[in-house]
Amino acid sequence: MRKVAILGAGMIPFGRRDEDTLMDMLAVTGLKAMDDAGIGDRPIDAVYVGNMGAPILEHKTGLASALVDRLCLFPAAAESIENGPASGGSAVKNGFLAVASGYCDLVLVVGAEKMRDTIVWKGTDFVATMTHPLVEYIYGVTLPSMAGMFARLYMEKYGVTEEHLAKIAIKNHNNGLLNPYAHIHMRITLEGILHHPHAKVNNPVIASPLRFYDMCPVSDGAAAVLLGPAEMAKELKKPEIAIAGIGQATDTHALQDRDDPTDLKAVTIASQKAFAMAKLKPKDINVVQVHDAFTILEIAESEHAGFFKKGEGAKALDEGRTEIGGDIPINPDGGLKARGHPVGATGVANVVAITWQLRGEAGDFQVKKAENGFALNFGGFGNNVIATILRREA
Amino acid sequence: MSDKLTVYKCKKCGRVMYPWHDRCLKCKGREFDEIEMPLPATGKLLTYSQLFALPWRFDVRFLTLGIVEFKNGVRAMGQLKTPDVKVGMQVKATWGLVREIRGEKLYGLKFEPA
Repeated sequence: MRKVAILGAGMIPFGRRDEDTLMDMLAVTGLKAMDDAGIGDRPIDAVYVGNMGAPILEHKTGLASALVDRLCLFPAAAESIENGPASGGSAVKNGFLAVASGYCDLVLVVGAEKMRDTIVWKGTDFVATMTHPLVEYIYGVTLPSMAGMFARLYMEKYGVTEEHLAKIAIKNHNNGLLNPYAHIHMRITLEGILHHPHAKVNNPVIASPLRFYDMCPVSDGAAAVLLGPAEMAKELKKPEIAIAGIGQATDTHALQDRDDPTDLKAVTIASQKAFAMAKLKPKDINVVQVHDAFTILEIAESEHAGFFKKGEGAKALDEGRTEIGGDIPINPDGGLKARGHPVGATGVANVVAITWQLRGEAGDFQVKKAENGFALNFGGFGNNVIATILRREA
Repeated sequence: MSDKLTVYKCKKCGRVMYPWHDRCLKCKGREFDEIEMPLPATGKLLTYSQLFALPWRFDVRFLTLGIVEFKNGVRAMGQLKTPDVKVGMQVKATWGLVREIRGEKLYGLKFEPA
């Protein structure tokens, strides 16, 4: 396989983007990645679009072909990739394979989602369509309630407390304040969301034991990367940010089918594959972006990915190790919790965030000495997971 | 209405599965015996969540959903009839109306303290 680099990266601020259609977001963000790479009018061989909801929420299909049309990228190959909330990570992985195999040189990958045009219960219902239709969906299960059932078991087994979860939310919202692309810019406190008598009003239970501030917001947004052979980075005078490893793994559709429902096997396996490919170990990683759609997932995923032993993620949080200035910063850009979670964009956004860190372009949320970074994209409730490791080459 | 739950026992390794899979989750076997599990049945509540942000067309203030493990090893999600539950408690499972989608009535498992 050829070495693949991220030549360009781009993002638009996440949040409520009433002024933009889904196609506007895809086009603007795609151009940002192309312009960031400085490829001018060079031909792009393939376009991959990560999106989960357009066919249901927007009554639109064929997004990748439409994007080629908007950006005049003919006759580029084009595919839309729907892989639940892992659509973005899948799109990056397919772009990587296309370049690594030598079949393509330049590949544009854009993830986008338009979720704020929809009323809340429809949006919640749309995300829930990825649950098992016969033994989960019919009961009214939603992703927050799957996370609630998981959290109840995980907290009991590993001694994770409500306060730990609140601290994840506080850390990520503090980080989000530093990120101009984040959906939510707001400081929250333990007092306000947990200890004050009014905390039950500020932070009501949504899916017990999880509360409002344990959930990511519903966002519009898009993120894009331009991939190409690593040697092209020098030619374009860009820092060489290599995709050093990618791993993907799946797990059972229904949560009840997992022997131990607290064991996120797909996170473990996808991460191990990515580390093996990159010839790196978790201790070599300087910055991490996980998929904290729910606060409990930041702890559980970082443990399953190998950054901490099981049950020690909360301790690392207490010790400040996962803050921007800590030895293993997690979600310095605010994560899904503050940056927002336009589902198809998220996997690409985590890769963009790491790219900026490794280039030293992360601004106020820049971590120190970032050479190797790790991004995780968690689909379903852990039934399809993609781990990506990026490395800055000297 | 059904007073039984159909589960699938692998002819090769004996693993009992619910829902149906075309290959056994344990040994990849492809042949199964259909077992009619009579309802009501009792089982242990493994976990639950009380949900206040409801999806499509639930005309209730909240839903309590849980996963129960039956004595034969089968695990299943269902709606709890009461929010007064705790992990590990014995529940009785029955079959009842769980949701209506576009006029279609959907039936499934309902749990209540045994």
